Amino acid sequence: MGEQKTMRVGFLRVIAILAVPGQAPESTMVNTTELPVYDSAAPRRVYVDVWKNLGANASLIKLLVVRDLTLRYKRSVLGVWWTLLNPILTTAVMWIVFSQIFSRQGDPSVPFVVYLLSGVLLISMYFSQGVLASGSSLVASHGLLEKMPIPPEVFAFTAALAAMANFAIGLFPLLFIQLVTGVGIPWTILLVPIPTFAMLLLITGLGLLIASMAVHFFDVLDFVRVLLQLTIWLVPTFYPLSMVPDAFQIFIKLNPLYSYLVVFRGFVYAGEFAPVWNFVYMGLSAVVGLFFGVWVFSKSMRNLTAYL
Amino acid sequence: MTMVTEPPVVARDLRLAYRLSRSRSSTLKEFAVNLLKRQVEYEELWALDGVSMDLEYGETLGIIGPNGAGKSTLMKVIAGVLRPTEGRVVVTGHLSPLISLSGGINVEMTGRENIVLFGTLLGRDPADMKERVDDIAVWAGLTDFLNVPVRNYSTGMQARLAFSIATDVKPEILILDEVLAVGDTAFRRKSRERIDYLMGGGTSVLLVSHQMNTIRELAERTLWLDKGRIKALGPSADVVAEYEATT
Repeated sequence: MGEQKTMRVGFLRVIAILAVPGQAPESTMVNTTELPVYDSAAPRRVYVDVWKNLGANASLIKLLVVRDLTLRYKRSVLGVWWTLLNPILTTAVMWIVFSQIFSRQGDPSVPFVVYLLSGVLLISMYFSQGVLASGSSLVASHGLLEKMPIPPEVFAFTAALAAMANFAIGLFPLLFIQLVTGVGIPWTILLVPIPTFAMLLLITGLGLLIASMAVHFFDVLDFVRVLLQLTIWLVPTFYPLSMVPDAFQIFIKLNPLYSYLVVFRGFVYAGEFAPVWNFVYMGLSAVVGLFFGVWVFSKSMRNLTAYL
Repeated sequence: MTMVTEPPVVARDLRLAYRLSRSRSSTLKEFAVNLLKRQVEYEELWALDGVSMDLEYGETLGIIGPNGAGKSTLMKVIAGVLRPTEGRVVVTGHLSPLISLSGGINVEMTGRENIVLFGTLLGRDPADMKERVDDIAVWAGLTDFLNVPVRNYSTGMQARLAFSIATDVKPEILILDEVLAVGDTAFRRKSRERIDYLMGGGTSVLLVSHQMNTIRELAERTLWLDKGRIKALGPSADVVAEYEATT
């Protein structure tokens, strides 16, 4: 009993010292106060803890993102081209298949290949691959999570960041094609980070949501993989919106990804601002998606590692 | 030299339940079906069932017990990898956990990359770790293998690397879960020297092992776990003798 009391007093003292710096009781020894304290009974705060953990592990996240990118490049002959191969091949195939059908119906001011590649980059390469990587990150790094006290959200966020880096690399061939086809690069290219960061928040939210479910049920990832393959069809990635019957257009516009796509395309090649509602919808869905994902993740977090 | 008043690890009434299950749904489909049938039941296995212990400043505490006694679970709870279902543990100080041999080692990466990554996982600055690479490799005797993926290392080499990284800065608490078992005599002698050195600087060690002579050699006190409960806790010689008498 006596020992238990000591422990509690010690803990309260640490709290008191943290709360009121400079007013440490004299009996406290210097080196105790400088040490980190892990208390399994410390209360959990749903949102604060996730941000705090990500901030505290910033250098680890940076290291993991760089590792994620370089591991892929180092191992292969194609190097950095691996990242670009997927969107370029997808675009090439779709261009061959669809160019005759869609290029006459779409916006005549922009070449079909630019329209297509910009859509594939944002939806397929950034969104779909990012959500899948982030959603499978906990299962994938279970070896480490079982041995080291690393907050799991670090891995989900790392995967989202790596997807963003790949997307940024993918912008170069797009800009190159824009130059070659005479579209040029408008000044609004400087605003591309806006939809990019909004997308990062959305991917992180969905990634955390899926990751916490995937730990409990192993078929979740298969299900998600199928759903993600559909996204390229659900928004006008390769077909023009005008081809869709008016009655159905509302279903496409209700999809938040549509707003990201419109805003991104406006900035990257059209040199124009999308309608205000697209910006509002994009921002709202990013914030709501992020907070919902963090909430579910925090609720299902308790002893996640026991299930890995 | 100031004295630390709190023991580095204070654990009280720790209980930890793993949910095992006949009907544990491992797929979403099964879960939905079970939910409809109102059969979402879990069978709980108490891996830890009321464990209270202190790890004193600068001591080496041995942890022994048969397989499935809860030794590794206790280490994971102290390391903060698992949260206790009931009870509380307070850990004061930097903790280097070496759980199941390789700790934070990634076999796909080279020795050099692992030193930086594992060090960062332990809360150190990546730039500092890059400067420490050579010293760490020298101690582990792996200078010639720094640029080889760890996949190609032997288990003994992996253990040397992990141990060398984890003990590079004096952590206040070091967890060694079966790490010393795979090393050869030379590695054990060197680790012994380093553990002695760390203990001299105030590091406390939790040493899980099935090798009773390692425990007798290194640990002053020993905790005997059985089915998640403490069977005995006291001077190593007594506890080990008692344990050996039963097996």
